[in-house]
Amino acid sequence: MPVGATGISTQQVEEDKLVVSIGPQHPGAGHFRFTITVEGDMIVDVLPDPGYVHRGAEKQTEYRNYTQSIPLLERSSLTDVTNIIGPYSLAAEELMGIEIPPRAQYLRMIMSENQRIISHLYWLGIQAIFLGHSTMFMWPLGDRDLLIDLGEMIGGARITYSYWIPGGVRNDIPGNFKERALKTYDYFEKRLVDYERIFFENPLFLKRTQGVGVLKREEAIRFGVVGPVLRASDVKSDTRLDEPYCLYKDVNFEVPVYKECDTWARCMVHLFEMRQSIRIIRQILEKIPSGSVRVKLSPQQRTRPGEAYARVEASRGAMAFHIISDGGTKPYRTKISVPSFRNLIVLKKLLIGSHVADMPAIYWSLDYWPVEADR
Amino acid sequence: MSIVTGTFRALAAALKQLPKKRMTLRYPETQLEMPGYYTYDPKLGVAKPGYKGRHILWLDKCTGCQLCSIACENISQAIEMVKVNRAQPNNKKSIFPQVDYAKCVFCGFCVDACPFYALGMTDDFNLVAYTKKELVYSPEKLAVPPKVTRPKVKVKFEKDVAFHE
Ligand code: SF4
Ligand code: SF4
Repeated sequence: MPVGATGISTQQVEEDKLVVSIGPQHPGAGHFRFTITVEGDMIVDVLPDPGYVHRGAEKQTEYRNYTQSIPLLERSSLTDVTNIIGPYSLAAEELMGIEIPPRAQYLRMIMSENQRIISHLYWLGIQAIFLGHSTMFMWPLGDRDLLIDLGEMIGGARITYSYWIPGGVRNDIPGNFKERALKTYDYFEKRLVDYERIFFENPLFLKRTQGVGVLKREEAIRFGVVGPVLRASDVKSDTRLDEPYCLYKDVNFEVPVYKECDTWARCMVHLFEMRQSIRIIRQILEKIPSGSVRVKLSPQQRTRPGEAYARVEASRGAMAFHIISDGGTKPYRTKISVPSFRNLIVLKKLLIGSHVADMPAIYWSLDYWPVEADR
Repeated sequence: MSIVTGTFRALAAALKQLPKKRMTLRYPETQLEMPGYYTYDPKLGVAKPGYKGRHILWLDKCTGCQLCSIACENISQAIEMVKVNRAQPNNKKSIFPQVDYAKCVFCGFCVDACPFYALGMTDDFNLVAYTKKELVYSPEKLAVPPKVTRPKVKVKFEKDVAFHE
C-alpha cells in the first residue's frame, strides 16, 4: 500500500469495499494524499501519506547562517510565518547569549497574535467551504485582508514579513499603527458576532459537527496532539501559559477548553482564540514601553557551542526548534517539531468509523497544513 | 435554539450585509495606498518600516562593497555586481548591484546589510514583464524611483463597514 511502497504494488480489495484516493493535488487536502477504504457509507480504513512537499528545511539550515535561514523557514508555513520563525529566533538567541529589549518582545507578541488571527481566519474560510457554506468562505478571507494590512504596516510584506529575527525585530511600528489597529479590531470584533450568527450558531453547522470525530481526553493525551485539537479535547495546555516566552506572563488572556471533544469543539476553540488574541494585542498597545527594538548582530554572528531548545504556541499548536551548534556561524543540526505533523496521527483514529460525508469536516478541523508538516 | 430560529437568524445576518458598501477595491483602476519605502539605518542598527517592494539604489552613495550581494548569497542569489560606465570617486571599481526579480523573494536582508545608506526598497509591486530578461533590473534601472499614476485608495471603517475610498 502507498506508504513506503516502492515501484508498482497491487492489493486485494474485498468485494463490497472501495478504495478512494484523496489528493495529492489540491482538491482541499493540500499537497497531501490519503487513501480511504469505504464500505457503503462508512470509512473502514485510512492511510495518510504525507511528504509530497518535503524540501529539507532542516538540512538546508545547516548551509545558511542564522539570518539567511529565515526567508526559507517562513515558506514552510505561509499562514503562520511569524510563529515558525519565533522558536528559531529564540533558540538562536539563547545560543548567542543575547537579551532582547522589552519593546521588541512586545512587538513580537503583537505580530504573533495578529498572525494567529490571520491563520485562524484562513482555517475558518476553508472549514466553511468544506461544509458547503460559501458565504463564510468569502467573509473571513475578506476580513483577513484587513489584518494582513496591519501586518504589512509593520512587516512591509503581505505574507512573508521576515519580522522576527535573531536579535529582536526588523523595525519599529509606524506612528499611526495604534490608531489603525484599534479601528480594525473594533470592526473585526463586530464581524465576529456576524460570523457567529451566520455560521457558528447555524443549525446546519451544528448538525454537521456536533458529535462528529470525537477525540476523548485520554486519547488526545496518549497520541500527543497539540494546540486547538488538544484544547478541544478538554486539556488545558498552551505554551503561552505553561512556559511563557516573550512577555506573555504580563498579559491576561484565557485559554479555551471544551468538554465536547468533537469537531464542533475544535471549531469553537478557533473562534475563542481569535477574541483572546485581540484582547492580548489591545493590552500590549496600551502598555508597550519605548526603547530599542533590535540588538545589532554582526553579519556572521557566532554562537557558543551547545544546544538550545525553544517552543512557542503557534496557531496550530506548539512549534519547537532544537538547534545544535558547534560554535560556528551556522547551526550544526536543526530539528523542527511542527504542530501539523503531530496532529496528523489522529486523522486515522478519527476517520475510521465515520461517514464519508463527515470526512472534510473532521480533516480540516485538525487544521492540517501539509507544507508545514513536511517542512 | 430551534432549527427554524437558527436558520432565520443566519439569513438575517446575511440580509444585513445587502446595503453595505463593497469591501473590495478596483485594481488596476485604483490601487491601495502603500506604507512608503523600507530603508535601514546602519548607525542605529534598525530599519524604518515601509513596504518591501522593488529596490531603489542611490547610485552616488554606493561604494561597490558587495555586502548586499553577500547577504543575498544563501537566500536567493538575486544580486549580481555589474560594471557600470560611471566615474564615481567613492566607487573605484564602478560595480553596482543588479537585481534579478525572477529570483528575489523581497526579504530585505540586502537592505539591512548595506552600510552606506545606498539601498532601500520602494512600494512598487507592479513588476510584471513578458520575458525573464526584463525582470533583471540593471543598476541604472534600480536608481529610478517608481511612478504610480493610478489613483490611490485607503481602507476606511464606519461602524461595522470596511470599504476602500
Ligand atoms: S530582498 Fe532578499 S532576496 Fe531580494 S535581493 Fe535582497 S536579499 Fe536577495
Ligand atoms: S548597495 Fe550598499 S551594500 Fe550594496 S554594494 Fe552598494 S554600498 Fe555596498
